[in-house]
Amino acid sequence: MTSTLEPLSTATDYAVRLTSVSKTFGHGESAVTAVDRVDLTVRPREFVCLLGASGCGKSTLLNLIGGLERPTAGEVELTTGRPAVMFQEAALLPWLTAAQNVELPLRLAGLDRRARRDRAEQLLGLVRLVGMGRKRPHELSGGMRQRVALARALACTSNDNALLLMDEPFSALDAITRDVLQAELLRVWRETGTAVVFVTHDVREAVRLGQRVVLLSSRPGRVMQEWSVAGDADIVDDINTRLREVISSHVVA
Amino acid sequence: MSSHSAVEREDDEAVEAGLDALTSPQAAPPDKRARFVGRVLPPVIALVVIGCLWQALWAAAFWPEYQLPAPAAVLDQIVQQVRSGQIVGFLWVSVHRAVIGFAVSVVVAVPLGLLIANVPPVRRAIGPLISGLQSLPSVAWVPAGVLWFGLTDYAIYFVVLLGAVPSIANGLVSGVDQIPPIFHRVGLVIGATRLTAVRHVLLPAALPGFLAGLKQGWAFSWRSLMAAELIATSPQLGVGLGQVLHNGMSLSDMSLVMAAILLIFFVGVGIELALFRPLERSVLRARGLGGGL
Ligand SMILES: Nc1ncnc2c1ncn2[C@@H]1O[C@H](COP(=O)(O)OP(=O)(O)OP(=O)(O)O)[C@@H](O)[C@H]1O
Ligand SMILES: [Mg+2]
Repeated sequence: MTSTLEPLSTATDYAVRLTSVSKTFGHGESAVTAVDRVDLTVRPREFVCLLGASGCGKSTLLNLIGGLERPTAGEVELTTGRPAVMFQEAALLPWLTAAQNVELPLRLAGLDRRARRDRAEQLLGLVRLVGMGRKRPHELSGGMRQRVALARALACTSNDNALLLMDEPFSALDAITRDVLQAELLRVWRETGTAVVFVTHDVREAVRLGQRVVLLSSRPGRVMQEWSVAGDADIVDDINTRLREVISSHVVA
Repeated sequence: MSSHSAVEREDDEAVEAGLDALTSPQAAPPDKRARFVGRVLPPVIALVVIGCLWQALWAAAFWPEYQLPAPAAVLDQIVQQVRSGQIVGFLWVSVHRAVIGFAVSVVVAVPLGLLIANVPPVRRAIGPLISGLQSLPSVAWVPAGVLWFGLTDYAIYFVVLLGAVPSIANGLVSGVDQIPPIFHRVGLVIGATRLTAVRHVLLPAALPGFLAGLKQGWAFSWRSLMAAELIATSPQLGVGLGQVLHNGMSLSDMSLVMAAILLIFFVGVGIELALFRPLERSVLRARGLGGGL
């Protein structure tokens, strides 16, 4: 009895599990260890924010989780379906219009034309780009491109048991748009029950969005500290102080 | 409380709409006449200058008439061919051969290029061969073609194919090689399989390089065709522009030779300008590239 229940319960208590994951780029003298023995568990439906200085390995970690990069050592396990990814750059396909970019994942998932169009329109509305669907990526501003990329990422998360990986998705947006989209993201997250791993430089953003904030150190990237966000404001200062410490310790060394 | 946040939200929307309006690029109104003048005038001036130089050289009589005919004599030659209607025959024979040869080359080169680009062992095996073939003058294949296929159209198509296939395949390979790696990742992330990734990501991403290859492939098939027609002449083969060139040489008729050269030049350039240039431009424009075209 217990033997059949146990694997079942362990299978569902994480969406992502990294066990001592390392990633080294290159060989010999020029080798760079971007991620070093990281242990990280993301529970289903959990919203986790990754914080860290530039170049500390956040994008690499996200790529490892998304299966776009193989770990040099350690193990990456997912219990979810194929993760939806929003890259650090918008990475829209330049030969498609904004709407077609959002529709392509739906098309590959086998939705018919009508359903695709309706869903894409709805998603573009969500990121406040109504009427921009026919524009090509190069005709959009950087922030608009990021929003199309967000809509595309959301188009990839259709199943219930989902995982959304986001790499500084709102960094190119003005404060007001960012605020609105953060609220939308939280709404989508609550509605769909997807797990989210969200990379950011912005401590306030991390605390606003995340249930848990994970601070990474630089060179090599390791998990320094974790905070559970329970709505108290001190935590921002606390994290800021720690982030400063991490960065300045690096300058001295 | 809730009405307050609704007002705030509406306010946000207004602000953001304003921001979006600011960041949208504004299209400059196109001035058609200025563009036409800017596009057409320079090549026309260049042609006129070349014509004048030629006329002057001829008038100075450095060379005898049978080596350098007057521009008027060459024009006259072309006008005569047009009047007698023979020119339609020459053009038809050559152009339809070139088009068929080019079309077959594309059909052969596309799978070949995709194989080379995507299958490493194939690339190692025949990649260098294909790029090497590109620098081999296709006229070198004419004797082999004639010995294998006799003085037939097949010999001519053989030469055209060996001229055009390598450059089209190479264009496709370099188009695929130049795809930014992020697009492959995008393909994975949005759920493309190997096959659908080729259709929805790989091919469209490689299109600019492929079109450049096509353009070069056209130039190569036209060239190869002229080499083949010039050397492989026989009554059964029909008279194309290359054969006209050959006839001019046999008859020591320099004005006929020059007329044929001009026709070959204008057909080759004309098809590039009428077909490939606009195609390339529209593809690049749609991606916000190719400002120089
Ligand atoms: N493909 C690669 N080849 C070699 N080195 C790489 C590669 N990708 C990343 N790196 C190195 O790994 C380290 C971490 O890079 P990563 O992109 O993960 O940083 P990041 O935390 O996302 O930084 P940022 O906040 O600036 O985006 C950097 O030192 C970088 O130079
Ligand atoms: Mg990054």
